[in-house]
Amino acid sequence: MFCSDEFIRPPRGTIEAMSFIARYYAPSIFMRCGCDAKRRMANFLMNNAIQVTNLRRVYKSYVGVFRRKLKEVEAVKGISFEVAAGELFGILGPNGAGKTTTVKMLTTLLLPTSGTATILGHDVVRDVSALRPRIGFIFGGERGLYWRLSGMDNLKYFSSLYQIDPAVQAKRIPYLLELVGLKERANEKVEGYSRGMKQRLHIARTLLNDPEVMFLDEPSIGLDPVAARDIRRVVRDLRDEKKTILLTTHYMFEADELCKRIAVINKGEIVALDTPANLKRVVQDLSVVELEVKMFTPDALERLKGLPFVDAVTVQEREQNSLVIVQSPRGAEAVSELLAQLNGATVQKVTVREPTLEDAYVRLVEGMDETKKEGAGSK
Amino acid sequence: MFLKYLYAIFAAFKMNFLSLVVDGFFIFATLLMPLIYALIAFGILRDKGAHYGIFVAVGSGLAGLWTTLLFGSGNAITGERWSGTLELIAATPTPMWMIVFGKSLGVILQSLLSMVASYLLGWLVFGYPLGIAQPLEFFLVLFIGLLSFIAFGLMLAPLFLLNPQVQQFQNALEYPVYILCGFLFPIALLPFWTTPLSYILSPYWTARLLQAAAGGTLAWEQLVNESIYILALGGVYILIASVLFRIVLKKARVDATLGLQ
Amino acid sequence: MHQLITNLKLFWQGAALSYVALFSWLRPTTFLASMIIFPLGQILFFTLLGIFATGRDSASFYLIGNAMQITASAGIFGVTMAIGGERWAGTLMYLFGAPANRLTIFAGRATIHIFNGVVQVLMGLAWGLVLGWVSFAHTDPLALGITILIATFSTAALGLLLGCLGLVTLNIMFINNLVYFLLLLFSGANLPITALPQWMQYISWSLPLTRGIAAARFIVDGASLAEVAPLLVGEFFIGVGYLVAGYVLFRIFEIEAKRRGTLEAF
Ligand SMILES: Nc1ncnc2c1ncn2[C@@H]1O[C@H](COP(=O)(O)OP(=O)(O)OP(=O)(O)O)[C@@H](O)[C@H]1O
Ligand SMILES: [Mg+2]
Repeated sequence: MFCSDEFIRPPRGTIEAMSFIARYYAPSIFMRCGCDAKRRMANFLMNNAIQVTNLRRVYKSYVGVFRRKLKEVEAVKGISFEVAAGELFGILGPNGAGKTTTVKMLTTLLLPTSGTATILGHDVVRDVSALRPRIGFIFGGERGLYWRLSGMDNLKYFSSLYQIDPAVQAKRIPYLLELVGLKERANEKVEGYSRGMKQRLHIARTLLNDPEVMFLDEPSIGLDPVAARDIRRVVRDLRDEKKTILLTTHYMFEADELCKRIAVINKGEIVALDTPANLKRVVQDLSVVELEVKMFTPDALERLKGLPFVDAVTVQEREQNSLVIVQSPRGAEAVSELLAQLNGATVQKVTVREPTLEDAYVRLVEGMDETKKEGAGSK
Repeated sequence: MFLKYLYAIFAAFKMNFLSLVVDGFFIFATLLMPLIYALIAFGILRDKGAHYGIFVAVGSGLAGLWTTLLFGSGNAITGERWSGTLELIAATPTPMWMIVFGKSLGVILQSLLSMVASYLLGWLVFGYPLGIAQPLEFFLVLFIGLLSFIAFGLMLAPLFLLNPQVQQFQNALEYPVYILCGFLFPIALLPFWTTPLSYILSPYWTARLLQAAAGGTLAWEQLVNESIYILALGGVYILIASVLFRIVLKKARVDATLGLQ
Repeated sequence: MHQLITNLKLFWQGAALSYVALFSWLRPTTFLASMIIFPLGQILFFTLLGIFATGRDSASFYLIGNAMQITASAGIFGVTMAIGGERWAGTLMYLFGAPANRLTIFAGRATIHIFNGVVQVLMGLAWGLVLGWVSFAHTDPLALGITILIATFSTAALGLLLGCLGLVTLNIMFINNLVYFLLLLFSGANLPITALPQWMQYISWSLPLTRGIAAARFIVDGASLAEVAPLLVGEFFIGVGYLVAGYVLFRIFEIEAKRRGTLEAF
């Protein structure tokens, strides 16, 4: 049997209009056939740029120096989602949730333990050489640039490795530097760049090969609010250019502001996947009570959590006091009972407000932990 | 298509050369170390007669070349790993071995300077006549030999990455190659069983041809035959290197060792 | 690239020969690489070169010279890295602040390398014996042992001075390698001192190893300890001289650093 990439992939753009009708019928037919190329065709017809099915990754590492023990971490526990062409999709999750692991698998840098993923119809395990030129990725942080070269030289070097025509380079590099706002500083060594500038240079770097799908793993990590806003501006520009973007972050407002849909991921599992508006609906019926408390004790936390009308409690330790955030459907009516549970402690300020996406996120992530704990406790 | 790869190799070459010329260790390895070798060898071989001048100049230049390749290409991947760029360059359409090849070219260019330096040393300080009897042949062999030498060095980087234990031998690998390739004395001094080892090292053939060309005893037939052999060995090295690179990159995807976090 | 090379040299010559010095005995590959193969390589290369130049009779000259010179790999690389490692680890600040005699700390670190150096020299000589390039028939083992120890000590003292220098210079690997190779040239390991031009001879006699190598050659040929005593005493005091120079340099840096408040810069 003959089954080639080139053969099966239709020319970009032309078929898109025609496929509108076919999209409703063809996938089911193609999906049933085992042939990978046909499945890819189905994906294309469904207009999904990214298709992830039961993706799973286990890390094996050895711990201990003398008695080396094999330790397994299941970083991603069989997640599935798809991202439409031109969509800006967010993955939101706490530290260690498995965001980076997922992105690494999708960018062909890491092999999945099981499950499949296709990007633009290419399998991330097998079609590596066809896929790589069509995607771009950045990992948050300062590494991944040649610090002793200028920003301009970094871009020149990478575009040469991407085998971009020198004539094209000469036009594209200045354009990209302009896009990310580094035109003035392009000839300085990267060493002297601020974090935000390095991060923007990273974005320019991924755009060198004009990728159709971009993976941005925590692009605003460690940046001050102004620098983070600059990054978001660039991401928004890219979204408006109809690039398919997968963005990971643990800043809710960032996801809220930018993404069309968000997958909330915790401990390797997707706990929710929806539009920001729908995710907020999780907490729609709730109100949030914020209490600034002096000398907040763990018992008090337990007591608050034990109240029947309280859904979730988070505590942020501050310099002078603790900020206790309580989610409850009763809202303002709950305040007096909450205060009653805090007997002894000094409450300095009470605020009742509408829930935000952050509260939805807390609830999703916490709620999952809670059920986990109960499950473990009953054993 | 082919041109694009050449262009990428050139970019790696340029970038590496520019960062090496200011590196203290490399200035030492490419310029000073071969000079000291040359000084010692000129001193030891003084009684051998003046015609050994060119022999020493060529030999210590090649020795410097090996040292720089050993450290330069040997650490090419590890360095990218430290700067966090390995994942990024692994994702480009340019094969990793080509990037390392380009980087090695940068190393080589600097090393060529060291050959010139030891040549001048023998001429100016020791007063040896250092004429190259067959200059055309000499530079032809030099060109072919260097390409093959780089190919040899290419096998190091993936080997070191695959097995860190092997890298402990990095320093210890310096002299054995000098010896087996007959850079400064003929391999006839060695026990017979080491001869096959010399024969599979292309720098051995390169040194032989260079010395013959410098001394004016190189026949065309030998030149053609051995040059072809040098190129063939180079091809085999590249083949082995590309397989090793593929294994390394595959392994890195399985073990998550491409990055360093 | 620069950083990488510095790091690697640091790691392989430093770690292999210095930090894990204590453990290197436990790790077969490290032992094999730094204690057996490396000495063998250097010895073979220069002795064969010597044999090629002047015949087999001169083998023992080159063999003894290079076997002794190998001690510099522990004494120079090992010791400078043990001190230089401080700088990379960023703990130097605490060291300067510590009340303990700092030179003791450094000297303590150097000791392990003296031990390593002695073993490397012995390995080198053993290789010579195996290859039949040297005979110890007329050799007083005690005298040879003392010679090796003193030569190793004075080389490590030079290493200590370089290590202190390394605290303020950026590229210690450059200095390290340069000194190692200059020792190869000046110490008489490969070229008889008398064959060098006069000005080079002055350098030779002010470096460690020169007298040690000369003494070792005499002892292997059958000289007694008393006969080489002047050489050994000279070698020892050269070592003491470098040690004192290293200490003074270190104190100057320390005082300067405190005065200018640039400890972090170290
Ligand atoms: N190379 C590795 N070897 C072993 N375990 C790993 C490795 N990389 C990640 N892990 C583990 O896998 C889990 C998921 O890590 P991952 O980096 O994907 O999380 P993340 O969501 O990106 O977190 P962060 O927000 O901190 O970046 C963590 O428990 C982590 O400890
Ligand atoms: Mg991450």
